[in-house]
Amino acid sequence: MSELFGNEAWWVIILKALLVFVVLVVFTLFNIWFERRVVARMQHRVGPNVWGPFGLLQSLADGVKLALKEEIFPKHAHKVVYFIAPVIATIPAFLAWAVIPFGPEVTIPFTDTVTPLQLTDMPVAVLYILAVTSIGVYGIVLGGWASGSTYSLLGGVRSSAQMISYEVAMGLSLVAVFIYAGSMSTSEIVAAQAEDTWFALPLLPSFIIYMIAMVGETNRAPFDLPEAEGELVGGFHTEYSSLKFALFFLAEYINMVTVSALATTMFLGGWRAPWGISQIDGANEGYWPVLWFLGKTLLFVFLFIWLRGSLPRLRYDQFMKFGWKVLIPASLAWIVVVCVMRRLIIDDDLDPTKILVVAGVLVVALLVVQFIPERRTPAVEAPEPDAFAGGFPVPPMPGKQPVAPSGAPVAPSGEKEA
Amino acid sequence: MTEYTPVLVLAAISGAFAVFSVLIAPLTGPKRYNRAKVDSYECGIEPTPQAAGGGRVPVKYFITAMLFIVFDVEIIFLYPFAVEFDLLGWFGIVEMLLFIATVFVAYVYVWRRGGLEWD
Amino acid sequence: MTAFWLLAPIMVVAALGVVLSRKAVHSALCLAVVMISLAMMYAMQDAPFLFAVQIIVYTGAIMMLFLFVLMLVGVDKTDSLVETIKGQRLVAIVLGLLFGGVLVTVVAQAFVGPVVGLGEANADGNVHGLAKLLFNRYVFAFEATSALLITAVLGAMVLAHRERLEPRRTQRDLALERMQRYAEHGEHPGNLPTPGVYARHNAVDVPALLPDGSTSEISTSKTLRDRGVVRDGAFAGDVSVTMRRLEADGPERGRVEPPPSTPARHDGEEDL
Repeated sequence: MSELFGNEAWWVIILKALLVFVVLVVFTLFNIWFERRVVARMQHRVGPNVWGPFGLLQSLADGVKLALKEEIFPKHAHKVVYFIAPVIATIPAFLAWAVIPFGPEVTIPFTDTVTPLQLTDMPVAVLYILAVTSIGVYGIVLGGWASGSTYSLLGGVRSSAQMISYEVAMGLSLVAVFIYAGSMSTSEIVAAQAEDTWFALPLLPSFIIYMIAMVGETNRAPFDLPEAEGELVGGFHTEYSSLKFALFFLAEYINMVTVSALATTMFLGGWRAPWGISQIDGANEGYWPVLWFLGKTLLFVFLFIWLRGSLPRLRYDQFMKFGWKVLIPASLAWIVVVCVMRRLIIDDDLDPTKILVVAGVLVVALLVVQFIPERRTPAVEAPEPDAFAGGFPVPPMPGKQPVAPSGAPVAPSGEKEA
Repeated sequence: MTEYTPVLVLAAISGAFAVFSVLIAPLTGPKRYNRAKVDSYECGIEPTPQAAGGGRVPVKYFITAMLFIVFDVEIIFLYPFAVEFDLLGWFGIVEMLLFIATVFVAYVYVWRRGGLEWD
Repeated sequence: MTAFWLLAPIMVVAALGVVLSRKAVHSALCLAVVMISLAMMYAMQDAPFLFAVQIIVYTGAIMMLFLFVLMLVGVDKTDSLVETIKGQRLVAIVLGLLFGGVLVTVVAQAFVGPVVGLGEANADGNVHGLAKLLFNRYVFAFEATSALLITAVLGAMVLAHRERLEPRRTQRDLALERMQRYAEHGEHPGNLPTPGVYARHNAVDVPALLPDGSTSEISTSKTLRDRGVVRDGAFAGDVSVTMRRLEADGPERGRVEPPPSTPARHDGEEDL
């Protein structure tokens, strides 16, 4: 951790805080456009392409439109809480970015002040991010409760159940990273990945669990049950309109970018250039790393959009079952494996390359097993009721006699008892 | 304490933005009163003033919430252990395995009794 | 110290709110404010790990309290002030006073001289120092915590779990049952018709119109039918009105007319 964090001139702190704020707002506007364009391509449509080059100004226009919409205050809403819920949702979303590292130490242009491209850092930076995002859930639950509407309340309760279910898996997946990095500070985790490799490689199971949990955590498809429009209309923000709705929307998109940035920092080397570019001199210095960082984050954002474009929503019981019965035992087992493995590596009883070779062989073996055809034994099952015998209103299957499509079943000709 | 000052600055900026947005919204938009608009959303029928069953939620959520807290506490213990891992040696691994196993007993108990079933 | 004087009044007010507010949900909210302020105080006193843990664990716990309130009390109910346990109030007051006395005594004893040893404890970082103590000297207490956690889970199961008496029915079972019912009783196996189809209105309390102009009973929800709020036949005339209008030539064509039989609860609906 650099000595500079928290000990900088006041104008540097304000400048950096403003920059983080502006970057997040602009990134959100960009992401809304990006999502609409990408989903449109996946569905053979064009997407917004009128306002600005490639339609880039579309989200800005939408934001202005939202500001000019009438603000509706529902009759059954709880007065104070209804107003502060969007504020509670928005502030923590921004705060999480206080400890995300954008790049190394740089000099601010036109001055000779050196500052790290990160607002601040703490010894418990990652825990801090988990803490502020869990405060953000309050915004959603309170918004749902204060609206005084059935759909909102159900959406809010569902959302809290979902977030607590997937937060466990997310928290467990981070333990392995802390074991490897020996720290919870974001800048030190990035530094540890410079000495070692990117943690996504040796800790691949953790990485996969984290990616699944982060989708569940942000209420995005296929885990978007709190906002399932077929069941709950809009979920917790059904009764919100105008700029208050815009704030919820903003918080949701920032949270999506936050978990992406955290994934980048924890598993993909943070702002460090990817292999190949990192061989070039100066790739990890100056302002270039901001580009790598944003690129990697955008990669995760694309993943989010890709998932939304291709997967249907899960059923609620399947969703909870997956979180509690698959992700949690799997991550606990993986933590035990990592503990033993890491200890053996430290004691020089085990070569890290050997582990990778063994893991590779296992994966190949698993793939080969998948190609062996399954031997099917004809299972003895109870005979299914043959509804077609009674005249189901569809064309008959080959070898069946068409029957009268009346409501009452036609007396079967000895076929039903078979 | 100093490392928290930038957090407070960012909180002030984002808080000012959020509060400003909430306060400015009634001024920028039009105002056209309509009785149906201020009703809670309901698919075309007269809205019921309260959710079904007095707005009560199935008590089922309680087990999930409790299990969450248990795992949360476990994670909280795992974090300092992970950070200090290199210095704790095999002793540290054994004590953490014992801890994980004990909490796992509770987890298996809930699973076996069907506390994790949803329908 | 300034932060303390800023936070302390907020905490005291919020703590009073926990005790004094009528709605249980408000109490839970005030508790959240107290806990988050407490976390900030930990941060001020150079205990960053405790700061983060306080927020993470207590936001979860208060969320649980919030849900618990929703589960047991309902959304808008205020607390009932009728005593169910006899003499509860008296016992509560006595115990509260005793506890307050203990607290004051302890704090008064502890409040001596400046704090020492903080720099030593945080020498290689707060988290490392904590881990060293927790996993070496206080191992037994740490392991005992896990037993405590088991107790908590057991309690939750005893309070809230309902034993499943019949086997769970999967989607496959349900589909088979539907087909069985169709085979035996001729019950329609597919979806029920949606409300409002073929009618001019698509609200859920307006039944679908069948091609002959009558309304379809099964297209509305049973709950609404039992409550008696289905607008049966209110728009049955719509089709004939439209047909008449379309058939008519000349100036009458396309003019908007109110339906012939407008029931009382329908008024004021047109200007929406």
